Amino acid sequence: MIVLNPKNISDFLDRYKKILLFLFLGLLVVSLGMIVFIENDYYQGVSFKIMFIHVPAAWLSLMFFGIMGTASIIGLVFKSPTSFTIARSISPIGLLMSLTVLFTGSIWGYLTWGAFWVWDARLTSMLILTFIYLGHFLVLNSFEHFQKSDFAAAILAVIGLVNLPIVKFSVNWWTTLHQGASVFKVGGPSLSGIYLSTLMISFFCVLTLCVYWIANIFITIIEKRRYERMKLFNE
Amino acid sequence: MKFQKINSRLKTRLIFFIIIFVCFSSAIYLISYALKDKISFFYSPSEMQALDIDDKQLIRVGGLLKENSLRLENTVWYFDIIDEQEISVAVIFEKTLPNLVEENKGIIVEGIYKNNILIANTVLAKHDENYMPQSTIDKMKSEGIWRGD
Repeated sequence: MIVLNPKNISDFLDRYKKILLFLFLGLLVVSLGMIVFIENDYYQGVSFKIMFIHVPAAWLSLMFFGIMGTASIIGLVFKSPTSFTIARSISPIGLLMSLTVLFTGSIWGYLTWGAFWVWDARLTSMLILTFIYLGHFLVLNSFEHFQKSDFAAAILAVIGLVNLPIVKFSVNWWTTLHQGASVFKVGGPSLSGIYLSTLMISFFCVLTLCVYWIANIFITIIEKRRYERMKLFNE
Repeated sequence: MKFQKINSRLKTRLIFFIIIFVCFSSAIYLISYALKDKISFFYSPSEMQALDIDDKQLIRVGGLLKENSLRLENTVWYFDIIDEQEISVAVIFEKTLPNLVEENKGIIVEGIYKNNILIANTVLAKHDENYMPQSTIDKMKSEGIWRGD
């Protein structure tokens, strides 16, 4: 169990996080180049290019919530501080991603549908996910000690997991204004090949940036936890 | 002995959280099952005909914009919405249409259904999940494998 010691993980991240930053910068140049130079969509024109930030952010906000919820369950069952710390460091980045989804999505919606916001199943369930993220983030920072806030926030994350399949499958279960899934769907992707590769590269670009941020937050929290423990010990 | 004790406590906690999760998911499932019709954003024209609606109630109808039905007369738009069962509903709309409204493309209309005409106050363009450049379409057309339009 030496590997899973939080201090070891923190040291490991501290040593190798620079690689993530370089990867991000490389992918950023490539993906921006591709986004600028690929041909416009035959129907939506240039406005469809918002997709290359909207979709990665959407995938990541769902993915991060899944990881956060799983880490919270593991933390609750095994009382493991490492899992709680992982959930704590993902929370603000997940919130940022879900806000990005709502913001870019409403611009895209205004340009194509003709409305910034409608109350269809996909948009509403995504808004609920954002509120759960916000609640999780606030609960994490509203107690004096890590132990209490970790426990309360983890319960919220476990409950919030219920919303994930609803966000994903809302476009299949109900009629919505939002279009259906383009990539992860029965019968393969319905994007043109060049769009799919651009989307994947911009996804990994945003992913590396997010993981870099999460690693930084993780390192800071481990430091804070050590400080808190030392303070308790001295009292 | 001690190990067994910890193990059983772990099991209790695990079962506790699984019960929380199952309770909440079944609650959400039941709510969304009960509100199935309310959660859906729009009706298709054929679903709408089966409904019992009065002429004060706002209703959303969606489908494809029928070919050769869109026309502008005295700043009022007239068009038909058609669904897969080939059932259509006539719409009139007095404001500006969104850019992406085109014949044979998705459209959603919100308004009042009166005397077999839907008087719209909002029109939204619904695009689908297929994205491709015009050059790909031209290429597919020249090879004869394009199935759109």
